[in-house]
Amino acid sequence: MTSTPNPVYSAPREWTRVHPVSPYLGSGPVVGFLALYWLTRLAPSWVVGENEEYEALDRFPFLVLAGAVVVVVGAVIAFGLLSWRRNEFRIGDDAMYHRKGILFRQHRQSRLDRIEAVDVVQPIVARIFGLAQLNVQVAGGKGSGIALQYLRLGDAEALRNEILSLAAGAKLPHTVAELSGAGEPSVGPASLRDLTTNLGAAHPATAVPAAPERDVYTVPTNRLLGSVLLSTQTASVVAAAVALIVAAVIFGSVVGEAILSFIGTSLFAMVAFVVAVGGFFWNRFNGGYKFTAATSSDGLRLRHGLLETRRQTVTPGRVQAVLVSQPLLWRRFGWYRITMNVAGYYEDQERVSTLLPVGTLDEVLTALSLVLPDVTDRDPQGSLARAVTGGGDEDGFTPSPKRARLMDPWQWRRRGVLAGEHALMIRSGRLTREIVVVPHSRTQSLGVRQGPVQRMRGLATLAVHSTPGPVHPLAKNLDTNAALHLLDQQAERARAGRGSVRG
Amino acid sequence: MTWYEPNADWTYADRRLIVTRCIGLWIFLGILMAAFLVFALLFGSGWYIGLAGVAVLGLLLTWVTYRAVTAHAWAEREDDLIVKRGRLWRSVTVVPYGRMQFVEVTAGPLARAFGLASIQLHTASPGTDASLSGVRAADAETLRDRITSRGEARLAGL
Repeated sequence: MTSTPNPVYSAPREWTRVHPVSPYLGSGPVVGFLALYWLTRLAPSWVVGENEEYEALDRFPFLVLAGAVVVVVGAVIAFGLLSWRRNEFRIGDDAMYHRKGILFRQHRQSRLDRIEAVDVVQPIVARIFGLAQLNVQVAGGKGSGIALQYLRLGDAEALRNEILSLAAGAKLPHTVAELSGAGEPSVGPASLRDLTTNLGAAHPATAVPAAPERDVYTVPTNRLLGSVLLSTQTASVVAAAVALIVAAVIFGSVVGEAILSFIGTSLFAMVAFVVAVGGFFWNRFNGGYKFTAATSSDGLRLRHGLLETRRQTVTPGRVQAVLVSQPLLWRRFGWYRITMNVAGYYEDQERVSTLLPVGTLDEVLTALSLVLPDVTDRDPQGSLARAVTGGGDEDGFTPSPKRARLMDPWQWRRRGVLAGEHALMIRSGRLTREIVVVPHSRTQSLGVRQGPVQRMRGLATLAVHSTPGPVHPLAKNLDTNAALHLLDQQAERARAGRGSVRG
Repeated sequence: MTWYEPNADWTYADRRLIVTRCIGLWIFLGILMAAFLVFALLFGSGWYIGLAGVAVLGLLLTWVTYRAVTAHAWAEREDDLIVKRGRLWRSVTVVPYGRMQFVEVTAGPLARAFGLASIQLHTASPGTDASLSGVRAADAETLRDRITSRGEARLAGL
């Protein structure tokens, strides 16, 4: 099959297994753990201290240990083989099916008309071998989506394209032969041989071509790097380090020695800390690397990632709420970050919910016009732009009254809420400026709540309940009557919005 | 307590809910008080202070329960259901019928003995905190069916 010039990938209509190497691709962490174990054994005793448990292992003869390793590895391989045999999927005209599990069988069926997003994810190990994971997100509760790991990249893309065109209402032929048309041979079933032939695979041909895309914006790497370095997290790490050094200088050797001995006694704790902090920066950088948004007839396409790449397709009108934020250090560069709630994304939200990792006001307006076309106001001097940059009661916002200062000394001056024709905008944040936009037609339910202190000050908090995600639309510390009035009005607007937008 | 009174027909939680909640509360406190009593008999009278403390706490919580239950009410409007709850920390929630994913009726053994049930409304948002407690069991089924059929009539996608 590798000799044919242009093999065509297509989605299976019969039960098909994932790629046979799948169960073992995830074993990287296990190997890493074992390596770490041996490292701790090799590390000098002052790092970890004497440990009796490790010594016990030395009493066994080498052959027994080697035999144990062989048995364990064999069991892992056998278990992997069994789980691969029981991990199958197929698509039908109006649903996708997935069944897996050895002891506890799991049979899942996702209706194509409920699909919110389809992502092709390639973690670095899978990417090396030309494999990919396909995540299908469906509205309807946690665990209702389907994740197939791993498929050949071509299989994953073919499946994605067919799912999206079926979800859009297209009728596709039933058999693979009809799909791939005359002449062009279809690709054979996945096998271990693909591991060598698929190395560094480019975009493969699929029976149903991907809908044409038009790139809208790409985040430059320089700006991304700058934005990560200028984040609040960097500032706090630097501030902590400076504070330690200053303390050591002022108080001399006493504090210095205390710090050094602390670092010395818990080297592994320090390593864990560095890994955690570094992990944050890495995720921001990797997630935003070459971040490109594109439009297609299937919906919004987002491509990003340096080592782990992710290609998301969010079907039209699935974005429930967006948050535009600007950390203090980004202000003089005029940078903003947009995160969003997409119904159906439940897992891994840090990685899937970014709409724009860092962008200018102009790009913010463009990005918002992609996901909330109703709210669009592309004019950089327009109401949306001013809503993002303004504060307090500017631009017709209902602000927090001055009474809120007692319990909200920092943010009250910037808090405000404005119900526009199509969306509710909530402004907050003093150092990190934030504005949340929720379309009326996407409001799930509404609430007003009030604690005892708020009650004394005549304040109340309005909450708009959105689907799970990083955006939590909360208008805190409004005047009580204003909040209750807004509750009634929003309920009415949401009702009108539901009437006009179906689906 | 009348901080939110639209022209709606409020249904207040059944007062028997106070009894069921207090039974649960006092069973727990009773065990605690018995422990203090045993300690007091074994180790001296200082432990009676703990016993009295628990008793006072129990009376306070009983009062809080009474106030909370009498503040809990809901109203069915044409397009949505409003739920209000609490006194010290009070809240109003508006749940459109068209957004309801499913409606759940639950009743524990104690609630069943008093002919009560709870109704939980679920939307696509985990933030929707809309549960009705102290619904008369006889009304619960009809209320659920009414809500569900209204939801179907007004069902909107996400």
